[in-house]
Amino acid sequence: MSNIAHKIGPLAKCVLQNSRLNLWSTLTQYRFYPRPTSFPDYFQNPIFRKEDQAKLIENNELARIAAVPVKPPASYETSSVYHDPLVSKLINHVMKMGNKKLARNLVEKSFENIKRIQIERYHLASTPEEKAKIILDPKDILYKAIENSKPLLQLLPIKRGGITYQVPGPITDKRSLFLAIKWLLEATNDKERTVHFPEQFAWELLDAANNTGKVVKRKQDLHRQCEANRAYAHYRWQ
Amino acid sequence: MRLNTIFFTAPSSKSARRPQREPIPFQMLLPLKLKKGVSGKGDKLKEAACMQEMAVMFACFKKAEFDQAQCLKEVSSFQTCFNEYNQRFKLQREQGKKGVLVPGEKELTHRQLNKLLKSFPPSQ
Repeated sequence: MSNIAHKIGPLAKCVLQNSRLNLWSTLTQYRFYPRPTSFPDYFQNPIFRKEDQAKLIENNELARIAAVPVKPPASYETSSVYHDPLVSKLINHVMKMGNKKLARNLVEKSFENIKRIQIERYHLASTPEEKAKIILDPKDILYKAIENSKPLLQLLPIKRGGITYQVPGPITDKRSLFLAIKWLLEATNDKERTVHFPEQFAWELLDAANNTGKVVKRKQDLHRQCEANRAYAHYRWQ
Repeated sequence: MRLNTIFFTAPSSKSARRPQREPIPFQMLLPLKLKKGVSGKGDKLKEAACMQEMAVMFACFKKAEFDQAQCLKEVSSFQTCFNEYNQRFKLQREQGKKGVLVPGEKELTHRQLNKLLKSFPPSQ
């Protein structure tokens, strides 16, 4: 009996954080070293998150890895509870000319804006049911927004008989995540000069999390075009 | 006029353009034996993955006016199909690169075949 409870326990957790876990597998980013590096090939990537370390201990792989030399973690690779791979990815996308401090500030400021907007909504809501529906955590909003704006298909230009066909096909997780972030940022930058980035980005994220707005429409337009070109799908080869 | 031109421009019996005369002599342009290995051109996966799932998803999308929330089942089946395909492709590629020979296997990749052929070279 206890065995079943042991199995169900992590499962229930999985269901709760399913969307986050799905993304984490595609988000494992490691510090990029341009070749040639000072580290030989057998140096392993650091495992810095406590959850990953716990998994290693559970699988009895820690002893094997402990003997292998490991690269040092980058400054953003931390075991802090505030570390979030998606947020750090987003900051890198927002960053221009290596100005990470500004990028981080912008993202944090837009999180603050989201929080303010959602708290205002929370206090304006009259019934407890309405209040329960409002997501107050900006990171949850971000995850939801990205999940809603990730495309399922892509159009690939394939040349057949001198004509380039736009052929619909499946998209990898990594590319769809990239497109989602790119579209969100493009939608944000398409704004009046007087509106600041954090303000607009907060609105875009809230819209996408609500499954409305420019980015979701863009995704649906892509899906529409894929549907219109479905006759060409046979041209695809892998 | 036209007849004349045909008459004069037709290949003469000495020309290389004349019709061949039977029996045609045999010329050995290439050595009469097979190569030691096989090329890998035929091994490429030519199937387009997950066509069925994609068609089902498109049908659902059209019915729901591209609202993804109403087609969760179709979307997840499409994605699992693609993930499985990717894994299969990766595994095939890895095994192909290694050229591991599995005893009793019917369908061999070109790398496996080459390995096999190399271990039994033709006698000179």
